Amino acid sequence: MAGTARVRAPDSSTGNVIRDSALGIVPQTLAHYLPLNAAIWDDGPLNAAEIEMARLRNAQGVGCVMCKAVRYDIAIEAGLDEHKVQMIGDQFEQSALTHREKLIIAFTDQYLNNPGVPPPALRQQLQAEFTPQELLHLSLVVAYFNGFSRCAVALGGMPDEMPRTEISVPR
Amino acid sequence: MAWIAPGDDRQTLMNQLAGIGDRFEGLYAAFWQLPQLPAQTLELCRLRLAQLHRSERDWALEEVPVPRAQRDELRQWPDSTHFDAPQRACLALTEVHAMDAAAITDAQAEAVKQYFGDEGLVALLQALGVFDGMIRLGLLWGLAERSGESH
Repeated sequence: MAGTARVRAPDSSTGNVIRDSALGIVPQTLAHYLPLNAAIWDDGPLNAAEIEMARLRNAQGVGCVMCKAVRYDIAIEAGLDEHKVQMIGDQFEQSALTHREKLIIAFTDQYLNNPGVPPPALRQQLQAEFTPQELLHLSLVVAYFNGFSRCAVALGGMPDEMPRTEISVPR
Repeated sequence: MAWIAPGDDRQTLMNQLAGIGDRFEGLYAAFWQLPQLPAQTLELCRLRLAQLHRSERDWALEEVPVPRAQRDELRQWPDSTHFDAPQRACLALTEVHAMDAAAITDAQAEAVKQYFGDEGLVALLQALGVFDGMIRLGLLWGLAERSGESH
């Protein structure tokens, strides 16, 4: 991890974690990030707990300390507790997660590790469990958070460890 | 035809997720209008990602025209005379970002900042995340073929 941040954050202190981060110094993209981020949580067919599972699995894959430490309050309200979060690891297949939850992690891993059409067995299970709209939503959830977490890591200044931090969706 | 939903192109699939797909496309489109980075430089980075992912579709795509010689020599950009120093700084960072964003060095980040400032580095990292995402989605959904041989 880079020890120091590679860019200066904006002077603003709005309470919005995206606006107040380094992303805030590029207003042309910030204007798109903020509504997209809210839409990812609000406008798709997957519930917040399902979105959070994919986000946390991506955070593990990228190695983003901050992303791994964060918990979105609406995901907790939707039923994602720490017992379940602990099962989002490389042994997830042997865990007590539901079949649907395991498929969310498997899909995320496919995106991260081998982007390409999933093997037939996984593809058939995904199609049996999720609607096309749910799969599209899951795709964009993973793509969005993957880009976001890689940007966060590359900007440097990430601590080696960070305590679990509950936040609300920045709006 | 994609396996994930009816449609055989990205736009058709994105349109099926109203409110999210169109906003994702809007973010992607915004990168080609940025004052912080030349669109042509970003296009070179996008094309380099397409090469690294071996995505035929994304390699064939042209978001912004780039000189033929740059396309032809993009794979060998370190040894080519057709790329200027700011483009080289961005391409070097792109290649590391594609493998492991945590492996980007301070020197590589500083090289981009030397030409484009803090704002340019942030914009480039944002763009790389979205470009990479679009390429991965095309491959994951079955819209893009992987080339057997890299370009």
